Amino acid sequence: MRASEDQLRSWMIGGLGGHAADHAALLRALVPLLRAFYRRRMRAQDDAIEDLVQETLIAVHERRATYDRERPFTGWLYAIARYKMIDQFRRSGRLCPIEGLDEILVAEGFEDATGAFLDVERLLDTLPAKQARAIRATRIEGLSVAEAAVRDNIGESDVKVSVHRGLKALAQRIRNDFR
Amino acid sequence: MNTDQLIDRLSQSVPPVPRHAVRWRLLIGLLFGSIVTVAMIASGLGFRPDLSLAMHGFSFWMKWAYTGSLSLCAIAATVQLSRPDARPMHWLWVMAVPVIGLAAICGVELARAPVAQWLPMWLGHSWDVCSSIVFLLSLPIFGGLLWSFRRLAPTRLRAAGATAGLTAGAWSATLYCLHCPEVTAIFVLTWYTLGIALAALLGALIGPRLLRW
Repeated sequence: MRASEDQLRSWMIGGLGGHAADHAALLRALVPLLRAFYRRRMRAQDDAIEDLVQETLIAVHERRATYDRERPFTGWLYAIARYKMIDQFRRSGRLCPIEGLDEILVAEGFEDATGAFLDVERLLDTLPAKQARAIRATRIEGLSVAEAAVRDNIGESDVKVSVHRGLKALAQRIRNDFR
Repeated sequence: MNTDQLIDRLSQSVPPVPRHAVRWRLLIGLLFGSIVTVAMIASGLGFRPDLSLAMHGFSFWMKWAYTGSLSLCAIAATVQLSRPDARPMHWLWVMAVPVIGLAAICGVELARAPVAQWLPMWLGHSWDVCSSIVFLLSLPIFGGLLWSFRRLAPTRLRAAGATAGLTAGAWSATLYCLHCPEVTAIFVLTWYTLGIALAALLGALIGPRLLRW
């Protein structure tokens, strides 16, 4: 399960107070968030993504003094992640696809992201637990089917079927809501 | 190194961070730069001999109010831009207030003086060096701020460079008042502002290169 904004923020504030355990918990919780963030936005090898995730973790660690305790944590985090990604594009001399750029610059606003996140969470809560877990793992956290199967200790086909059924049920529910 | 090892290593040194760490860091950079600048004024230019007398006069405080208020705005903007999630700064327009205020004083001054005096008032005794001195004196302060930024996280590098340059320029102009004996508002409005603008321009030009992290 993803850590919530409140949880991340309290870990961050604990780390700023000098609690190493909070800081470590925060950094661990950021790994899946950052992996998903970069996977959604870049067409890159897993190695490159992982390098960027590590670089972002180092930046979060070294520049944690710039976090303002009164402001949302994820806004601060994604501002750093976005900066690191753009810096990466600049270094590799590659052009950022324009249609992606708007999304990067605007749509990653904290409210939008949180709003969408809450909507997704609410929808997933209506599904059976196994289907919700499978969808979270493969579609949000960015795990492969094999990784998700190992993590939940179930078969790969079980994961696939759960995702398929879960998404179908969600689509049906949204269609009904619109009517 | 895999990510878990990295996290273990990073979590080994987690010193507490004071609440106003960003402000302190910028102030320390500003302070060290200022020490160098004041030393440059003391050794190269000398303080104005009538400084204590001038501090009772209007024009000295007019100059300080102008450059001081610009510095304060610029420092506040720099503090904001040193965080990655800097919010839009619509309040920056208040920087027009000191400029407009000084321009109003210019108007009054010029209206009171005969037209033949206007050119000498505008050029003073040091128009040819004033802007470049303000610019040169701003460099140590700019260097101090660059040091501050090494632990900060600006994401709008050009804007952050410009506000750091503006801070350095406005603050060096404030310190330069300790030497400069010019008294007219039109002089300050033209030549001081030019020097400050040059410092801001330099910051905007080299910010993206020097502030990367």
